[in-house]
This record gives sequence, structure tokens and C-alpha cells, in this order.
Amino acid sequence: MNITDLKRDETARIVSLGKIDQIFNKRLMDLGIYESATVVMLNKLSSNRLYVIEVDDIEICLRKEDAELIEVRK
Amino acid sequence: MIYLLAGNPNVGKSTFFNFMTQSHVHVGNYSGVTVEKRVHHVKHYEGANLVDLPGTYNVSPASEDEGVVTYSLLNESYNGIVNIIDSTHLRRNLHLTIQLLELGVPSLLVFNLKDALRNNGYVIDIEKIKDSLRVNAISISARERHHDDQTQIASEMQNLRITKALELDYHHTIKWGIQRIHDLLRYDVIQVKKKWLALQILEGNEGIFKFLNLVKEDKIREVIKEVEDRIIEEKVAFSLKGAIFNTRREFIDKIVRESLIKVEEKEHSKYFNQKIDRIITHPKFGIPIFFVIMLAIYQVSFGKFLGVGSFLTNYFDIFWNDYLVLYLGEALEFLGLTGFMYGLLIDGVMGGVGGILVFLPQIVVLFFMLAILEGTGYMARVAIVMDRFLSKFGFNGKSIVPIITGFGCSVPAIMATRTIADKKERILTILTIPFVSCSARLPIYGLFVSLFFTEYRAIIILGIYILGIIVTLLSAKLLNLSYFKGAGSKFLLEVPPYRVPQLRTITYQALEKAKRFVKKAGTFILVDSFKFYSFLVI
Ligand SMILES: Nc1nc2c(ncn2[C@@H]2O[C@H](COP(=O)(O)OP(=O)(O)O)[C@@H](O)[C@H]2O)c(=O)[nH]1
Ligand SMILES: [Mg+2]
Repeated sequence: MNITDLKRDETARIVSLGKIDQIFNKRLMDLGIYESATVVMLNKLSSNRLYVIEVDDIEICLRKEDAELIEVRK
Repeated sequence: MIYLLAGNPNVGKSTFFNFMTQSHVHVGNYSGVTVEKRVHHVKHYEGANLVDLPGTYNVSPASEDEGVVTYSLLNESYNGIVNIIDSTHLRRNLHLTIQLLELGVPSLLVFNLKDALRNNGYVIDIEKIKDSLRVNAISISARERHHDDQTQIASEMQNLRITKALELDYHHTIKWGIQRIHDLLRYDVIQVKKKWLALQILEGNEGIFKFLNLVKEDKIREVIKEVEDRIIEEKVAFSLKGAIFNTRREFIDKIVRESLIKVEEKEHSKYFNQKIDRIITHPKFGIPIFFVIMLAIYQVSFGKFLGVGSFLTNYFDIFWNDYLVLYLGEALEFLGLTGFMYGLLIDGVMGGVGGILVFLPQIVVLFFMLAILEGTGYMARVAIVMDRFLSKFGFNGKSIVPIITGFGCSVPAIMATRTIADKKERILTILTIPFVSCSARLPIYGLFVSLFFTEYRAIIILGIYILGIIVTLLSAKLLNLSYFKGAGSKFLLEVPPYRVPQLRTITYQALEKAKRFVKKAGTFILVDSFKFYSFLVI
């Protein structure tokens, strides 16, 4: 499953960022999103087009098409 | 003595810089406000200068903005580094700290936002940090500006420990790679430790190849490839960068476990924030809310109803025409100046400059309210609201920050685009910013509106603004369809917490902008009214 399948306030563990291209991957890592990190789905905004997730203590907003590439496991 | 001020974006670097140097650089609650490098003297420390660098998550440059940091570390001379850390986001912040400590330069770690951390129910055990990282450290709240903190920081800076570079226990393949690259660097003359450079190279810091002409660049790239392949093959991580990252993260976890101490159980404000966010960024109401807020701001600045700006302008007008001009006129007559000189000064200069200056109170009010908006963290929400809309024109929501800055002045707006990582998108934003109505055009609009309209002035001014925005968007679309065809746009936004802005900073910001406005507009108008009056009379 990917991150967009999570319900609000649900927690999961990132298993793979493999589908994301290198540059974007690096930006995610800079912000602290990495494989094996724990994510919380904080908010779905803009009619589920934007997702606010929390990794460690950082809140990040990304678009659906990018969020879908983040594989997670509950 | 020169100290570099480094840290993640939006951690209070500028606040700290202002505090320690008694200066006033721009403070804002979103990432990417500081884009130029600034240098200033440090209080209580004779001969020391602090250099405010742009915020960065990482030493390796991901956008041009962050390249400045790598460049400074590699090429500039400095005596130490002051690393500002957001105590409420330790895990993310410490990645940069580790990279700086690996450099082995005398450093002071400043754990900022002590007040915010305490509000969340935590404190930092600073002695523990000093012990485990073997580095000078202090925990402060830059915003509260305690005098004691200032003197202690100055004294810490004068007594920085000379420490050994921090060495983490990276995977043996990485260590092997570091050694190989280190050997390949032996022909190069570099001011930083070569081990550090080797690790940064492995991490993918392209800035190093850009800023240094390494003799064995090709060989080095081969080593990177080899290490990367082995890391993936041995299933250490999915990428070389990931492997390095993981080691650091484990180390950070340990530090945070040891030194972040819970002192009070607190209800998390986060869930409340999420609720507010859902309302403010509502798919239907988000944009209307934004416009209502902007309209309210223009109404208060320029309108009649609730018009603080117009109210002040009235008094200013009375002061200017009924007192200043009157007495100046009498003084001139008393001195026996009449005819051309009298007309030039009273009608030309005072009339011309006065005609623009009457707008000053309104503009100060406008700037003041925009500064409040910026300080709360609402701008990041505007970026979210606008993303869907802006993406249709090839921007992403992040472009909204420079665009909004563009309402103030185009020059800093264009500089602010440096935080947009995608090059095409950055250029697109730069090219379209000049269409946004900057504040210098405001008096012109004001003049126009007060000449031709008596009612609905705020709405008309807003209308002119919106017209500007429409032109901006259309030109972006045009560029997007032609020259920048197929520019992929990505949106990745760090959502800042809501904060109550500080009166001190806001007032200062508003006055500063107003001053710049008077200077810029004033000079033109002064010169022009001279010319114009002379032209009329002669
Ligand atoms: N609560 C609190 N907020 C702070 C403190 N220092 C800075 N801030 C706020 O953090 C935000 C970012 O500050 P700024 O200096 O612009 O950060 P920079 O991007 O790192 O230069 C602003 O809203 C500041 O008012 C602090 O000590 N406590
Ligand atoms: Mg700053």
C-alpha cells in the first residue's frame, strides 16, 4: 500500500521510496523522510490532492502523485 | 574573527543574528526568507563578525540557495561556525549539525526556541549534549532577547573548543570509499579536511565538483559508483546516500533519547492546528478566505469603513498642508522669497512630495498587516490553497512566496525564488514576478482611484491587483506552453507551526519597508516636481 491509503491520524512505516526519482528523493531525505521512518497521516487537503504527513517531528505537505510513490506498511 | 551562522531554514537564524549584532535583517515564518549573505559585528565581542548564511538542511546543495553554504565552507576564511538549531525539530536539524561537526571546525551549537520547546513540555539537557558531542553548546530563546544569553554566547564564541572532527561509525564499505577518495585527493590543495570532503563527495555533494577543480575527478566518480553498487548489492541500504543517512539517523536518535527530557505532559497542539488547516485550506473556501483576508487588509489600509489608513492620512494631510506648508510659506515670505523660488518650493516640491507622502500612513498600515500575516505562518497555508490553481499555470504553490513578496518589491521577490529547486520553475517565476503590482506602484493606484472614484476604493484597488495577478498567470501559461514546455513541477512544502508574530519585528519590518518606499518614491518625485514646476513656469 502507499501513503495515500492511510486514514487520517493513522501511523505506518515507510518501506520503499524506490519509485521516486533521485532529485526528489534527496529533497525528501533532506526533510527527514527516509526508508524505515514512521509516518503519521496528519491531514488530507484540497479534496485529497494534497497530503500533510509527519515524519519524526516534521510536517510536510506533498501532492497526491508524489505521495502515491511512497510505499508504506502498517 | 569571522563566524559563519549556519542552520536549517526557519529556525531563527535571522532572529539570532539581529539579537547578537543589534541589526535588523528580515524575519519571517516560512522557509527561504534569508537569501542574501549578511555580515555584522557581534555585541560584547570586539572584532568578531557574524555571517548570516541562507538556511540549509544539508551541506550538499539541492537548490542554488544551499550551494552558498558549501561554497562558504570550502572557499571562505572563518574562525568558527555558529549552528542554530530548532529545539522543537531536533531530529531534522541535527543532520546538518553532524555534517558541520564532521568538518572539525570550532563550533558553537545554539539550541534555539527554548520557549517553544518548553511549551511542548520538554527541555534540553545541554550538559549532556556538550559531553557527548564534545562541543560548545547553549540553549536559548533568541526571540526573548535575554541580555545574559547575549553575553554568554559572546563569551562561548571567544572560547570555542578546538575539537577533533566527529567520526561516526559508517558501514565499512563507506569507510573504504572515504579512504580511496581521500587518497585521490592528495594532488589537490583544499582548506577543509580531506576526509570530510571525501564523505561529502560520497554523499553526492555536486557543489564540490563545481567549486573545486579536482585533479582526479573522473577516478573519484568511479569510486562513488563502485561504493554505491556495493552498498546496494550488500543490501546495506537502497542507495549510498541512504546508507550514510541511516548511520547519522541512528546517532541522532541516541543523542535525542539522551538529551531531550520531558518535564511536563502536554496536550499536543498539533491536532488543533490540523483542524484550523482544514478550514483555512478548504477546497472550496480556501481561496475565498484568502481574498477576504486580503480585501480586509486593503479595506483597513485604503478604504473608508474601518479605514485606519485613511483616518491617519487625514491627519497627515492636515499636518502637512495646514501646518507645514503654511508655516514654511510664511517663513519664505518673511525671508523675502517670492515669485519663482516660492512657487518652486511650495507648489512644486511641497505639493509634489506631499501628494505622495499623504499615502504614507496607508502604506505603513498595509505593510504592518502584511507583516502580521507573514509572521503567523498563514503564507504556507496560502501556498497549499493556491497549489491546485497555480499548477494549472505551471507554477507550484511555493511560487506564491516570491509572488507575495513581489507585492512588496520585485527585487527581493526575485531573490526569494532561489529556494525553488526546479530550475525551469524558478526561471518561470522570475520572469513573471515583474507583472505583480509592487508596492511602489501603490501610490499611483491610490492617486488614480482617488481621482476617479469616490466609492468602493478598496475593492477597486484590489481589482487592479487582481488584474496584475491575471496578467502574471497568463504570461506564465504562455511561457509554459512555449519555451518551458513540459516543465515538471513538484510541490514539497514544510508546514510551519502557527506562531504569534512579535510586535517588535512586525513594526520594524513595516517601518523599514515604508522607509525604503519613501526613499525610492521620494527621490523620483522630488526631482520630477522640480523639473515639472520649472517646465511649467519657464
Ligand atoms: N517561539 C520562538 N520563536 C522564535 C524564536 N526565534 C525565532 N522565532 C520565530 O521563528 C521564525 C523564523 O525566524 P527567522 O529568524 O526568520 O528564521 P531563519 O529563517 O532561520 O532566519 C519567526 O517566526 C520567528 O519569530 C524563539 O526563540 N522562540
Ligand atoms: Mg533568515
